Amino acid sequence: MCKNMPPLELAIQFHGHICPGLLMGVRAAEFAQKYLDVSPDQDEELLAVVETNSCGVDAIQSILGCTFGKGNLIFRDYGKSVYTIASRDKDRAVRIAQKYQAQPHPDNVRYRELSRQGTLTEEEAAEKENLLASIFERIMTTPFEELFNWQEADFAIPEKAQIYPTVQCSICGEGVMEPRAIMNGQLYVCPTCT
Amino acid sequence: MCEANVYLSREGLEELLMEGVDRIIPGDDDNIFLENVFGERRLVKARIKEMELVRHRIVLEEIKEAAVRPHLELWLEPDTDHGHFHPGEEARMKLFQGFNMRAHEAASMEGLEAFVRINGQLRELALHKHHDAMEIELGQELEGLAQIYVHYKGESELYATAVMEVGHHHHRGLQPLGLPLEIVPLDYSHARLGENYGIQVLKDGQPLAGAEVRATFNGTQSRDYPHHLKTDGEGKCRLFLTARGNYLFSVIHDNTTSTFTLIKSF
Ligand SMILES: [Zn+2]
Ligand SMILES: [Zn+2]
Repeated sequence: MCKNMPPLELAIQFHGHICPGLLMGVRAAEFAQKYLDVSPDQDEELLAVVETNSCGVDAIQSILGCTFGKGNLIFRDYGKSVYTIASRDKDRAVRIAQKYQAQPHPDNVRYRELSRQGTLTEEEAAEKENLLASIFERIMTTPFEELFNWQEADFAIPEKAQIYPTVQCSICGEGVMEPRAIMNGQLYVCPTCT
Repeated sequence: MCEANVYLSREGLEELLMEGVDRIIPGDDDNIFLENVFGERRLVKARIKEMELVRHRIVLEEIKEAAVRPHLELWLEPDTDHGHFHPGEEARMKLFQGFNMRAHEAASMEGLEAFVRINGQLRELALHKHHDAMEIELGQELEGLAQIYVHYKGESELYATAVMEVGHHHHRGLQPLGLPLEIVPLDYSHARLGENYGIQVLKDGQPLAGAEVRATFNGTQSRDYPHHLKTDGEGKCRLFLTARGNYLFSVIHDNTTSTFTLIKSF
């Protein structure tokens, strides 16, 4: 990796494979970046609230730099392909929601069917590869407004993630973040040992 | 009741394909999508031949895939996993013989010659056999954009070309090598996944219109080239890149086969 990777390549590298969900996430992440006029996050200038834990979130993490580890990726388990991206510097946020499709494209239906199927024949594997190529081209070339709705979001950006001291669990001896430890008299006990 | 039974006509014989179909959507690439009241779904390569709505009968006619007729061609791939070499690094190319980026046994050494053009200088390169592939050493002193080509003259004439970056350069307006049949990239510096990539086919230096260009990529699951393109009036065609590996473009004209390997630089 000796060059600045384009966002799409970054997302694929991070996610490990190419799939329709990831590509939709790439469109959403690229849009958010342009809409808010921000660069990828270094140190929590950006914050993402994601309402799904599927493939698309990996595009948010890799392209925007809002990651689970940095604490600027907040997961709300609503099962919705909705991403709210906020910029601390610009003091604004955008909520991006994937449009509901009553009639999924036949290519997507068949692709999902083949993905669920465990083993594929040579013909089916070739068919799946072809389907993914057409889905890929369609997702990347369809106007954004046909794929997503978006609106400026009223969003109070929380403080940057805090760093807490680590204390030792009196039972297993492992370290545990202080607010997660339970006090047993004068002793700390970690959640696994309670 | 408004569902229909769908039959597939194959070489004059009709067989029941799906019962109780309530949704038929003709899609891209001669595909027809079927869904029935039991929730079963199928995608078939066919066209609608007949619809007898009173008898709830729809007959599809199978579209046969053209049989794959592999021919032998040569192509080049870099001996690196990230698409370019750094100055001072031993730059090496591999030469393969096969079809659709699936290599057959190593190309034989007889009748093969290899050249590199870099910074306007053309020089011949040595080919040698290494395990099951032929290798071409470009040396360590290179720096710039290297255009490599291999020529083979036998019953038919074969050319393999590739452009290789040594160091980081963003060259545009690459000059053709001047081969009898050649595929030239339109804009070398833009070979990105999720974007169109354009090439031009030249026959004796002139654009070749209406030529069939096949395109494939490393690790394809297809037996035949997955993409078949046709050049326009200016001998140009474009492909939307969706695979991670290197791409190979191939054209045949007048008993000459010429390939161009698009090396993705990441
Ligand atoms: Zn995925
Ligand atoms: Zn413990």
